[in-house]
Amino acid sequence: MTCSPYDLKDFLFGELSAAQSRELEEHLQGCSECREEFERLRLTQTALHSLREEEPPRRIGFVSDQVFEPRWWSRLWQSGPRLGFASAAMLAAAILIHGFARPVPVVSRAPDTAAIEARIGAEVARRVEPAVRAAVAESEARQAKKTEELVAAERKNFELQRDADHVAIAETLTLLQKKYNVLQVASADWGTRP
Amino acid sequence: MIFREVEDRDLVAKARRGDVEPFNLLVSRWEKRVFNYLLRLVRNREDALDLSQEVFLKAYQNLGKLEDAGRFGPWLFRIAHNEAFSLLRKRKPEADAPEADIDARPRHSFPIELSLAVENALSRLAADQREAVILKIYQGFKFEEMAEVLSCPVSTVKSRLYTALDLLKETLAPIQTRGVQ
Repeated sequence: MTCSPYDLKDFLFGELSAAQSRELEEHLQGCSECREEFERLRLTQTALHSLREEEPPRRIGFVSDQVFEPRWWSRLWQSGPRLGFASAAMLAAAILIHGFARPVPVVSRAPDTAAIEARIGAEVARRVEPAVRAAVAESEARQAKKTEELVAAERKNFELQRDADHVAIAETLTLLQKKYNVLQVASADWGTRP
Repeated sequence: MIFREVEDRDLVAKARRGDVEPFNLLVSRWEKRVFNYLLRLVRNREDALDLSQEVFLKAYQNLGKLEDAGRFGPWLFRIAHNEAFSLLRKRKPEADAPEADIDARPRHSFPIELSLAVENALSRLAADQREAVILKIYQGFKFEEMAEVLSCPVSTVKSRLYTALDLLKETLAPIQTRGVQ
């Protein structure tokens, strides 16, 4: 507590009239206790002002942003009369349905597996058969070509072998002819000896 | 301030007629103040940002209910006050916010010790006392405007502020006297 004629905090915040302020200022000049108390208040105020304002880390959504658009349920919820009528209508409909409508027996139909299988078979046949046919044709063509190549190679080998045999036979015949000639000469010599 | 009131009044009037751009200007003009008020009150940056968003959304939706278009500022802070205390009531008593969030905030040219001391001292106040300090010291409202924001008599506003100031003085005046500045 101080002996000040007015609240020092009112003075601090400029809440006193001009005349009251003058009176208090005169009091402060003559009262060290009130002066010190006022100084403490002023220091506190200065300390509080050491905190600076911060910028918002993100911009606040504007009206044109999505966040300001009322959601459909919000619009519906805010339209009281419409919501009331809708609720009443739904309640009436529910009562009518409950009163008059018979429950429809629910027939649980087993899936027609045979039809499904047939459909799957047809689909498989439709898709697989052409593919198989094409693959077989391709394979056959490949085999035919390979066979043809093998036959050609074999034929060539055969011809080479035949030519070689002809040469060998000719050489053998020549050799036999020479041996025969030698024998002829020898026998002629034998017949002319005394 | 008079110019601002006039401009706010004009902007509110245009926004009420369905013109979007004037409300955008009002948001630009007030978002920093509202954010800082909420930040110091709820002491959590993300909460303050979410609440700020909510405040402007509610302001836009309820613009038709603002009786005096020239009183947009106090009316906006009234919404902010309601939003903040709605959140504070949901929190546990005296567990306003994690301390780490306050420590992580960017700082300024004043000595860090002093800023920490101020934040610490403010955090020890009751929420309604802290709010009175924020509205008067940081937002510069007049007592009548504060009474409007807080929906209570001027005498109550003064009582809260002056009690808070006495409590703060015990902590902060000695620091200042020791020459931290």
